[in-house]
Amino acid sequence: MSVQLVVFALGTDEYGIDISTINGILRAKKFKIQSLPDTDKSIEGIINLRGQINYIFNLRTKFNLVKKEFLEESKFIMLNVNGSTTGCIVDEVTDIVKLDDQDIQLAPEFINTCNSSYITGIGKLEDRMIIILDPQKIFAKEINMIE
Amino acid sequence: MSQYQKSDVKSTGNHVDLSAIKLADVIDLEFLQSFQDDFAKSVGLASVTVDPDGNPVTKPSSYTRFCDCTHSTESGDNRCAESHRKGGEEASRTGKPVIYECHAGLIDFAAPIMLEGRQIGTILGGQVLTDVPVDAKYRKIAKEIGVDEEVYVDAVQEIRKLSRDSIESAANVLFIVANSMSKTAYQQRKLRTASDTLNDGLNQVSATMEELAASATDISANQARLNAEITNVNTVTGKIDEVMDFIKDIADETRLLGLNAAIEAARAGEAGLGFGVVAQEIRKLSADSKETVGKIRDLTSIIKESVDKTVRMGNETTSTIEQQAAAIEEVTASVQEITSLTAELNDLANSK
Repeated sequence: MSVQLVVFALGTDEYGIDISTINGILRAKKFKIQSLPDTDKSIEGIINLRGQINYIFNLRTKFNLVKKEFLEESKFIMLNVNGSTTGCIVDEVTDIVKLDDQDIQLAPEFINTCNSSYITGIGKLEDRMIIILDPQKIFAKEINMIE
Repeated sequence: MSQYQKSDVKSTGNHVDLSAIKLADVIDLEFLQSFQDDFAKSVGLASVTVDPDGNPVTKPSSYTRFCDCTHSTESGDNRCAESHRKGGEEASRTGKPVIYECHAGLIDFAAPIMLEGRQIGTILGGQVLTDVPVDAKYRKIAKEIGVDEEVYVDAVQEIRKLSRDSIESAANVLFIVANSMSKTAYQQRKLRTASDTLNDGLNQVSATMEELAASATDISANQARLNAEITNVNTVTGKIDEVMDFIKDIADETRLLGLNAAIEAARAGEAGLGFGVVAQEIRKLSADSKETVGKIRDLTSIIKESVDKTVRMGNETTSTIEQQAAAIEEVTASVQEITSLTAELNDLANSK
């Protein structure tokens, strides 16, 4: 078995999400983000995408990385989560890759105990290491709060 | 004078040609005549000034009846001329006044007028005696030249008697005055020539300076235009960059299109495989476009750097030109000062 991943970057780190869970990619600078008052700080705000309101999460905040202004290349990766479309901001979508099962090392148990187990594994692509995320789980907590 | 001849061929026409100088060129003959007349009257010595060939340039002053008588026959006149020539020759050889006895037994002197070691004339004079004349001697001469003996002997009695010292002193006075006159006049002439040459030279310098000033202005204007043109290149380069921004934006958009197409293809499963390949190609193309934009940007930034450098150098050139223009102005001012000095010098040289 193999899996096709959309690879994106936050700083110098690379992350991957299963392509089949992705609805599409948008250029961040084309949208105005309306912030939502009194919500979890990982929630950047909402955008109006072709008449639909979508939540946008900030992965940098979520992952406790250095906060950064949006870049020229910043993208929204729109995910199909629990029947609705939710986006997250990334520095850049760098690649689409296909990884075989043997190139994926499953995440060790201790990681999964401390972070809602949204890291499913580490993809190895030559020298590159791609942290594979489960979109259903990443924002589960926040989405629960909103709903 | 030699430096003028060497420095400028044109000025050779200006320099004083010593060999062509005549007595009349350096001595005011009218003045010489009146000086000679007055001197002759006061001292009682006859005199005449002749050119190097022996031709008189003044009228004889206070000629004695005896001498007029001697000159009245061709033979007498010839002997006088020969005697004068000999005296003149001796004077020329020694460069000093010479006292001698003429063919008719009178005491004469010849004072050379020298200029830079060259004789330009001779003052001949005398027609006096140092002793009481012996009749027999003059009767013999009268016979030789064919004049009336009685008239001749009578005439010789009228000849004034002077001591040899007095004659020498008189000859010396004439010699010194005539020579210093000619020397002064000659120096003044040299001064005039020098000041003329100087003036010509200064006029040339002035003209050249004007040309230089004009060309400095031209260069300055050209440089300003050049700077404007170059700045224009920068403006165009800026516009190219704007276009590059636009192209990069299209490339980014295309890449996104490729990514989204790949996502759609993945969703379509088996049916989307071919479309997935197309999506990949689109991404590659957009990457190529972006790379090309980067290369063009590099080139335009090189152009910008080069233009900036050129503008900097242009500005340096402009300031150098300004310095040159200032220097030219200074030189022009100095030349004007010298020119007015030369005018004064010229006035001095031309004053009598």
